[in-house]
Amino acid sequence: MNASFLCQYRHLAMAVATVVVLPLVLTSGSLATEVLIFALAALGCNLLLGYTGLMSFGQGIFLGLGSYAAGLALLHLRIPLIAVLPLAMIVGALAAALVGWFSIRQRGTYFVMLTLAFAQMFYFLAYTLRDITGGDNGLLDIPRPPLEILGQRLLPTAGPWEYYTLVAVVFVVVFWVLQRIVDSILGRTLLAVRDNEARAAAAGYDVRMLKLIAFMISGAITGLAGALHAMLTGIAPLSNIEYGTSESILIMTVIGGTGKLFASVLGAGFYVLVGDWLSTLWPRWLMLLGMLLIAVSLFMQKGLWGVGTGLLQRVRRQGRADDTATQRSAAYD
Amino acid sequence: MMDRRNFLKLSAAAPLTAAFGKVLAQSDTIELVCPVPLSGPFAANGKFSEMGVRLAVENYGKLLGKRVTYTTMDTEGKPATAVRKVQEAAQQKGARFFVGGILSSEALAMSKEVDKAGGVYMTIAGADEITGSDCNRSTFRWSVPTYGIIDQTVRQVAEKFPNAKRWYTITPQYVFGEGLLHWSKEVFKAKGIEHVGNSSHSLAEKEFSGYLTNAMAAKPDVLLLLNFASQSSDTLRQAVSFGIKKNMIVVVAQSAGLEQFESLGPDICDGVYFGLQNWHGVDTPFNREFTRLANGATRSDPNFTVTSTYTCAKVVLDAIKKANSTDPKAVIAAMEGMQYEGPTGIEEIRRGDHQVIKDFYLLKGKPKAAMKNKSDYGDIVSSGKSFLPVEKTLCKMA
Amino acid sequence: MNIYLLQIINGIGIGMLYFLMAVGLSIVFGLLGFVNFAHGAFFLLGAYACYQFALAGLDYWLALVLAPVIVGGFAWITEKAFLHRIYKLPHEFHILLTVGVALVLQEAVILQWGIVGQNVAVPEALEGVLILGQFVYPKYRIFVIAFTAVIALLLWCLLDKTRLGAIVRAGSESTEMVSLLGIHVTRIFSFVFALGGATAGLAGVLAAPLRGVEPFMGVEALGIAFVVVVIGGMGSFAGALASGLLVGVVQSLMSTLWPEGARLMIFVAMAAVMLLRPNGLFGRT
Repeated sequence: MNASFLCQYRHLAMAVATVVVLPLVLTSGSLATEVLIFALAALGCNLLLGYTGLMSFGQGIFLGLGSYAAGLALLHLRIPLIAVLPLAMIVGALAAALVGWFSIRQRGTYFVMLTLAFAQMFYFLAYTLRDITGGDNGLLDIPRPPLEILGQRLLPTAGPWEYYTLVAVVFVVVFWVLQRIVDSILGRTLLAVRDNEARAAAAGYDVRMLKLIAFMISGAITGLAGALHAMLTGIAPLSNIEYGTSESILIMTVIGGTGKLFASVLGAGFYVLVGDWLSTLWPRWLMLLGMLLIAVSLFMQKGLWGVGTGLLQRVRRQGRADDTATQRSAAYD
Repeated sequence: MMDRRNFLKLSAAAPLTAAFGKVLAQSDTIELVCPVPLSGPFAANGKFSEMGVRLAVENYGKLLGKRVTYTTMDTEGKPATAVRKVQEAAQQKGARFFVGGILSSEALAMSKEVDKAGGVYMTIAGADEITGSDCNRSTFRWSVPTYGIIDQTVRQVAEKFPNAKRWYTITPQYVFGEGLLHWSKEVFKAKGIEHVGNSSHSLAEKEFSGYLTNAMAAKPDVLLLLNFASQSSDTLRQAVSFGIKKNMIVVVAQSAGLEQFESLGPDICDGVYFGLQNWHGVDTPFNREFTRLANGATRSDPNFTVTSTYTCAKVVLDAIKKANSTDPKAVIAAMEGMQYEGPTGIEEIRRGDHQVIKDFYLLKGKPKAAMKNKSDYGDIVSSGKSFLPVEKTLCKMA
Repeated sequence: MNIYLLQIINGIGIGMLYFLMAVGLSIVFGLLGFVNFAHGAFFLLGAYACYQFALAGLDYWLALVLAPVIVGGFAWITEKAFLHRIYKLPHEFHILLTVGVALVLQEAVILQWGIVGQNVAVPEALEGVLILGQFVYPKYRIFVIAFTAVIALLLWCLLDKTRLGAIVRAGSESTEMVSLLGIHVTRIFSFVFALGGATAGLAGVLAAPLRGVEPFMGVEALGIAFVVVVIGGMGSFAGALASGLLVGVVQSLMSTLWPEGARLMIFVAMAAVMLLRPNGLFGRT
């Protein structure tokens, strides 16, 4: 009990450390904010992939819908920021409930294909319903109101680092909540479903309900990320709901490593920052990304997190080996 | 092994040196930023845009005593990435001068972001809203919007062939395509033309045989293609394979010019009418000079994207020179009403909506045997300036 | 001739090509049990191989024969070098590896042939149109229908009548059983993967004169292949044929009935099949 409590603290501390370090090493507030936004999306994807064993090609649906919901609410309803975020989460959760309810009926590759089919369908719906979504142009001129409760201004959001602060706070809170969920009984049950679905069902768990819950949480988080993204860029573009976005989120999650929440933060950070940097060097940077995916699939299935912990273990083992060596040589003195 | 304190000191110092470096950089160069798709399905535009900006920058010499430089940023063809990178450039480097962008969705989103950052943005994208309902002080547009495109192609062909009374249209489903269709219908009404049918298709479509079959069944005199770039190429290629050229006149309202002709080849282009934003074969002082320049650097005649982006870059640089300042407000003031030698002759930036007033061309493709050189794909049939008055463009500039 | 009849015939033409695009994906899934996200990249390679042959002044007919072999060889190498090692891993990694391969191939094509789309001429013998009264149809498209029909027949014979085909079909049911019978299942895997790649490459060669070549055509092809395979049933040859034709005909008819919704209808149909008949119209339950 004590060990897992400390472990939980350690990961949360890493999340906090990340939001503190980013402003120190990056000069662009927008870039730093985008890292955190996609970290949220990757967390949502990881909950499904790493913790429930479901590979969803539909995360872009929730990101896009979150963006549209936030955009429409801010443009037409003029509701305050404090209400936009939960609204996007609800929209994301409902969409996930819909997609999940149908997709969960399938397993393995069929599940993947179904989420892909839904992703394509939502894309074409968004493209066709031009009056609502703005079609190819998307929604434009989305405002970024400051954070207020009952007229009291809590946090300004106009400047890039000001907005980053807001997103950082949201990120840490969501991370903490997600960590609690993952460490709870629900979380461990999801792991049981991931490891052996038949056994979990035999043990009396309602596997479908569990998967659906995981889906809805994932949808809520990803919808939230979509809303934050819409306010970052001031637009809700069609590209957020495109298949390519779903693919990118999945790639980030796997590069980071599934199975540990903070790994998703690593994966998103890596993808956004390295992609941003590489694109200035070589227009064909997608080729390097492809090679990385191949390498991860062949050699580094645990992703960056796995590489990191592997190195750490080797250093520790080296330390221990040194200790025993010095002990042995001391014994001979 | 560095201890934590030193590491924190170092990392705190990093942004400081970057900022310091930025200040140093600002003081002795003037930088143009070119946000275009360099990866993803629209990367061809990015490559030629970069070429255009490079030619402009490398051949400019000193400006206000400073060196002129440029950077490109990969927008990946996604408006959100484009906006975020514009934000980055404005925040990290204090970049204020942006040139390029052909995708309407990207250009619209970027124009708003540059406006927020108080910069200057000149684009070649087509969407009417850029100098229409979504116009703003920072944004300038070189390309002729939908009204002019249709007036110089559809109206001209209708007048040339007064007995061609049945027209069929193929339209892409997005605001630009719908704008073209709207103005086409206005011309049809005015000329007593029967609009025998329309096929709207998605921007992802590659298979046009169904729409062409539909078109042929309606027995039109003219097939009018309102789609753009690779889609109009696919439609045209498939149309020719169906033998459509034998039965009707084919008009491509807005062609991507030389780059499109090169990817199709003269056999497909022969006899087809193309609307063009510019044509290297037109004898203007700019074209004479620029064709020589482009051939020196790339060993081929300049295509639409290279020429137009070069023009935008040169106009912005010239405006900085004219204003004798890098303050965006002064540059914008210098650009309003500015006249200059452009690819189509004397071009002028209209004060009210920041739209460049220039010629739009109608070209008829010629057979391979008649080509005088490898870029001589057709002859200009007509040209002219057609623009809505500012009051009708829905532009309300603050 | 009635417009709807014309559209149906056109739809069959489109549909046969869609079938050829999809059948490789279906067979690979049937035996190897995973979705090859690099399938579109093999289509792309086939199309560019055709383009390269044209650049080199070689006959289109030569490309038609050699390009699938080249692409099949490529697929064989991919399977032996990469996929081979990760069969035991969960399906996420199969998918991700093939996504990576697709990206690498796409960018490699850009590096080699440039980023601008190019035209590929229809072979001289097939230029022009066939005119039967009101019916006007390009000769090349008729050739595509006929040729694909022949290929379909050959594939069917391979799967249904030969020993190899029997092994592939048995392996689709149970690889364990087949290997227990003493047959080298892994060698069959490589062959099937190569065959899947070869059919995609062949589809690319056929498509090149219709649509030209451009580096991102693989993405669209993959999307079509997915839809066809999902509707027809993963692992079913008959399903790929039936649903390929169905998708082609629906797309063609839609251009008369409701052009804006053509693309949307295809994906709605796919989702509907997945919900009502999850294993596809012809899939095994």
